[in-house]
Amino acid sequence: MIEILSVRGPASIQDLGRLDQYRFGVGTSGAMDDLALRAGNILVGNDENAAGIEIPMMPFKVRFCRDMAFALTGADVEATLGGHAIPPWWKLHACAGDVLDLRAMTRGARTYITVAGGIDVPVVLGSRSTQLRGEFGGLHGRSLLPGDILPCAAPSIPGYIGELGTEPADIALARPNTPAGDITVRVVIAGEYDAYDGAAQDLFWSSSWKVTPQSNRYGYRLQGPPVKSIAPIEKRSHGIVPGVIQVPPNGQPIIQMRDAQTSGGYPKMATVIGADLWRVGQSGLGGKLRFEQTSYADALAAHDEVSHYLNRLRTSVRLFEEMRRCR
Amino acid sequence: MPIDTSEIERLAKILEHSGIASIEIEENGQSLKLVMEDTQPSVRPPSLVPTALPGDAAVIVKADVAGIFVAAHPWRAKPFVEPGQCIEAGAVVGLVKIGLLYAPVLSPATGFVDAIIAETGATVGYGSPIVSVQATA
Repeated sequence: MIEILSVRGPASIQDLGRLDQYRFGVGTSGAMDDLALRAGNILVGNDENAAGIEIPMMPFKVRFCRDMAFALTGADVEATLGGHAIPPWWKLHACAGDVLDLRAMTRGARTYITVAGGIDVPVVLGSRSTQLRGEFGGLHGRSLLPGDILPCAAPSIPGYIGELGTEPADIALARPNTPAGDITVRVVIAGEYDAYDGAAQDLFWSSSWKVTPQSNRYGYRLQGPPVKSIAPIEKRSHGIVPGVIQVPPNGQPIIQMRDAQTSGGYPKMATVIGADLWRVGQSGLGGKLRFEQTSYADALAAHDEVSHYLNRLRTSVRLFEEMRRCR
Repeated sequence: MPIDTSEIERLAKILEHSGIASIEIEENGQSLKLVMEDTQPSVRPPSLVPTALPGDAAVIVKADVAGIFVAAHPWRAKPFVEPGQCIEAGAVVGLVKIGLLYAPVLSPATGFVDAIIAETGATVGYGSPIVSVQATA
């Protein structure tokens, strides 16, 4: 078990999401940075879909109630365990009573804690993810509070082998030619793209979009030069998915994220490809996003690149731990 | 492709600790046979450490895996340790990069860091000296 000692902002339990209920209007939820959650689970020997803790704001402090291996992935954070500094993207061992203290976040927007065995909250509609809108899943369907006790399942591979780090995803999957300080995400154009003239389309591609404080697990509201359609667009609500970039009448794009509603009526300019959605999830308030047009084929290739990174990571961790066991 | 010497080191280490007497590998017309002696391991890891480097309480922290040494995490400007710094046993003094993995080099002793011996970017193997520490406890 883990006890939450202090928390600021909406930290929540997330796995990879509730993917099978979309047709009933139940949003996916799930980790905003799915790669960080997967990498953390790989490090501690879990199924990649095991639930972890997503922490968007610091400080955050927990106490381990028994000995267990855990990992920190995602955003870089000044972290200590019993006063000792922990490097980024790192697995180590906590003893019963140890306090994990996460302070200032220095890079990225969300840190993940995964524990060997996973956070063992009940599976609701196929997932342990917190559905904040519907108030179910996770721990009592809500964000974490001080005093919360998180149950942890027994690890599938018993025995701790040793500390180990891995290359953060933003290094392993670095994108070329991104202006310093900006995050570039690849998008495919969507349904209403042609309702904008060339000048408006150029603005969409060439602008550096600021992530406003109205950005969270539901969606990211961006700020930049207004992108206006040729004529006002009135659409009935229709199905949308996380990653869809809508442009409301004020011309300021909204990227729908993991807790988005399953439908909406604003015109859709483009959709962030699945392989890059985690990059949006790691863009903090005040950060800058750029959109780069890509094709469906290239979006699939990007997905393969992510799978390749995860396969390599999975194999490397397994071989390395086996080698350590031999000693 | 010739058999990598770091592979031989690693295999020898595994033999030494697993109690297996010998191993024979054949690959692409090449063969490698490692046999353990009864009293002493036949293959010692190439200990590159001069035995009397610093003073008597000096401890040489060594790599326990082959890869590329880095003194600082790529996300951080500051190295894990710097000369003069006080560290505790178990502290991370650097990383050995092996593909996507960052294996920590851990100090076995509490004390003061004397010198960073390995250079960032250098290829290190099992037993390569990484950092020297003046042990205080």
